[in-house]
Amino acid sequence: MGKVHIEINGQKLEAEVGSMIIEVADNADIYIPRFCYHKKLSVAANCRMCMVDVASLPKAVPACATPVAEGMVINTKSDRAIEAQKSVMEFLLINHPLDCPVCDQGGECELQDLSVGYGEDVSRFTEGKRVVKDKNLGPLIATDMTRCIHCTRCVRFGQEIIGIREMGATGRGEHVEIGTFIESTLESEISANIIDLCPVGALTAKPSRFKARAWELQQTTSIAPHDCLGSNVYVHHRRGEIIRVVPRENEDINEVWLSDRDRFSYQALTEGERLLKPRIKNNGKWQETDWQTALNLVVKEMKRIIGGTEGKEFGALLGNNVTTEESYLTQKLIRGAGCNNIDFRMRRRDFSGDGRGSVRSGFNFPLAELDNMDATLLVAADLRHEQPLSAIRVRRSTGFGSAMAINPFDGEYNFRLDEELQPKPEMLAQEYAAVLVAADAKRPDILSAEAKEWLSGIKAEEVHHRIASNLIESENACIVVGVYVQEHPQAEVINWISESLANVTGAKWGYMTQGGNSAGNKIAGAVPSQSAAGGKAIKGKNAKQMIKDGLKGYLLVNCEPDVESVWSKEALTNLEKAECVIALTSYVDGRVSEYADVMLPIAGCYETSGTYINVEGKWQSFTAAVKAPDEARPGWKVLRVLGNLLDLKGFEYESSKQVIDELREVFDAVSDRRNARKVPPALGKVSDKDVTRESLGLYMVDPMVRRAKALQQTPKASTHPISISRVKTS
Amino acid sequence: MKTFKRWLNSFLLYELLKGLKVTFVNMFRRKATIQYPEEKTPLSPRFRGLHALRTYPNGEERCIACKLCEAVCPASAITIEAGVRESDGTRRTTKYEIDLFKCIFCGFCEESCPVDSIVETRVFDYHFENENEKVMTKPMLLKMGQIYEDQIAADRAADAKYR
Repeated sequence: MGKVHIEINGQKLEAEVGSMIIEVADNADIYIPRFCYHKKLSVAANCRMCMVDVASLPKAVPACATPVAEGMVINTKSDRAIEAQKSVMEFLLINHPLDCPVCDQGGECELQDLSVGYGEDVSRFTEGKRVVKDKNLGPLIATDMTRCIHCTRCVRFGQEIIGIREMGATGRGEHVEIGTFIESTLESEISANIIDLCPVGALTAKPSRFKARAWELQQTTSIAPHDCLGSNVYVHHRRGEIIRVVPRENEDINEVWLSDRDRFSYQALTEGERLLKPRIKNNGKWQETDWQTALNLVVKEMKRIIGGTEGKEFGALLGNNVTTEESYLTQKLIRGAGCNNIDFRMRRRDFSGDGRGSVRSGFNFPLAELDNMDATLLVAADLRHEQPLSAIRVRRSTGFGSAMAINPFDGEYNFRLDEELQPKPEMLAQEYAAVLVAADAKRPDILSAEAKEWLSGIKAEEVHHRIASNLIESENACIVVGVYVQEHPQAEVINWISESLANVTGAKWGYMTQGGNSAGNKIAGAVPSQSAAGGKAIKGKNAKQMIKDGLKGYLLVNCEPDVESVWSKEALTNLEKAECVIALTSYVDGRVSEYADVMLPIAGCYETSGTYINVEGKWQSFTAAVKAPDEARPGWKVLRVLGNLLDLKGFEYESSKQVIDELREVFDAVSDRRNARKVPPALGKVSDKDVTRESLGLYMVDPMVRRAKALQQTPKASTHPISISRVKTS
Repeated sequence: MKTFKRWLNSFLLYELLKGLKVTFVNMFRRKATIQYPEEKTPLSPRFRGLHALRTYPNGEERCIACKLCEAVCPASAITIEAGVRESDGTRRTTKYEIDLFKCIFCGFCEESCPVDSIVETRVFDYHFENENEKVMTKPMLLKMGQIYEDQIAADRAADAKYR
């Protein structure tokens, strides 16, 4: 692209041909007032606030819709520009109510800020103001439509980013109304971003409605814990109470967006039933106690069970969003105490791949590259409901590239699929293998003889050939394997096919993982097959064995196997049968109080410092935003003290940073070491009963989300988004 | 001569008499002393005494929880928690507290209030018997408003033309 030379306010600038004045000004830190312009959305030029004075033009022009030209001399502060901006502001304020004192946007409102600079103190408008009926957009977004200035950012967000036209403008002129056409709630999983987009107080967050003012909030940077992308967030809190969570810009991960799940899950911490003091069950009755007593009991029970059974009858289960520090300390504690049963993969059926693949789970290419893929193949990936923000990246790539899916369910997509296969879940591996066969037919000299033999019985059809050649012919292609695959009884086969297919076609591949920190848990060594950073470990029982076989003692770290596990029924019976269940949890509600014997209160995710490792291998550390309530303590501190009480070596940490540094050092030595996947045994038949019918669901993934009130009231909470029963039969 | 004059002055108690003259003159002047609490000095309508939260004549509280008073308070004496009132969904305070030990009675809260809700009354004589009584809670403030509403309204009316 060529360059042009322009001048803004006397500052000489170089700009790309075709860029708009406002972009160039923004890059040079010259502020031009605006309402409708947003860098991630298309240009609408309907607010007219960004009027600037261009020397060669007779009238002021909108900076957001005027491309730069060679030699342009622009003035954003000349009399002509200011006059135009002031006039526009006067028009905007005609119908805007003067209710800033009761408006949640007050203090961070773009209109309020700009009216200080450009508004007149007395209105010349004496006629009646317009009143618009408020729309009910569901439990997440509160509306005050009278305040709307029709910038259409929310409309464009729906159309361009989500890909679902949820909001729209009806009527003309004075009668324009923004709404959902037909009375309905917003159903998209990232719809709440319109709260941030709205420059006025027309769309505000319902859960934090009227709770606080922008100026009294303190801001702490943190990482969202509910999907493997590791979205960057700001936690806004006041007097030790979390008020809201908003996105923090990071172009590599979440851009400027945030999924509703990450945005509103904080409610579990503020309004959930929190466990405030350690509890011990005495003759079936809960008794609150102090930490010392509770910890001593835990140590006594752990010593008894582990010592009495040589570590065979005790096991630790971890949740998907525990911090890396917590999982590292848990495995160190468990292994140090002489027990090898530790796992976090409660939704996994196939453990034959343990020890294969890389030390870290997830993607081998940066997430942001999903934007530029000419071809994307989704394998059992319901991106919208698993990692909502990755779906909008794939959607962006479908603007020029193609997306294909082999999904054993009737998924909901916000992008066009060029090819869609819907095998029955038990046939997923076969169908996928057929694509590999097709690819192999095109590029026969890459797969090993052994692999070719493995594929020999499988026949590729027309559609498989199309998918394979699309992957081969595209310059940038990738295969995205969804969370569902990890629950599939042939997960390892599918992973092997993916790896082989990526080899043959030259595509990149990666698999999405459950929860926020699966990659971190694996690196930390919270799996039976490897210790920290892929180190050797004495093989212990995996999650399936621990849950199905039943143990005498369990240590649960921030998880509820009775809900999260694919073997939830067995989990409940065995947990109830166990002699001692030690639960490190933040909440008292749920069945945990039925089966646990000791409950230790730990801090929730924004109340502890820690590190999450996202699916692309980014280590993101964060500090605690607020203090945990009452006696609850950060999980790593509890585990550290347990280590001390068990007289284990190497538990002298004073901060979570020391823990992560210790792990980091080991990890850096091995880095991303890989063990090649072996050709799997011949494809067996999968019984219909062995496949999951339903996913855990968008708003069910971890204990925190399950307790977020507002999210649980959304329509998406009541339906299992990927329900295999919805497979098309034709 | 000088020494003699000074000696004479002290001998004739001149300084004493000069001082007593002031006493005598004031003995017959009008008394400035008032019999507090039976009598009180006149107060300006702008007097800044104890706070009150006003209500509208229909009993609806004026405060809309905009928190401007909390923000403007130089002594950080005001603590407000707000939320949606369940009955009608309006924005209301759930907690409105003024710590009278912190308050410097500057009147900024009254100045900043967009709905004339928080006001300072003419009440300045009060006392606490327990430490925790120093915090005026929302019911206390509303009660103040109810008791003194006539006076408050009259004071605002008297001062209105200078605002």
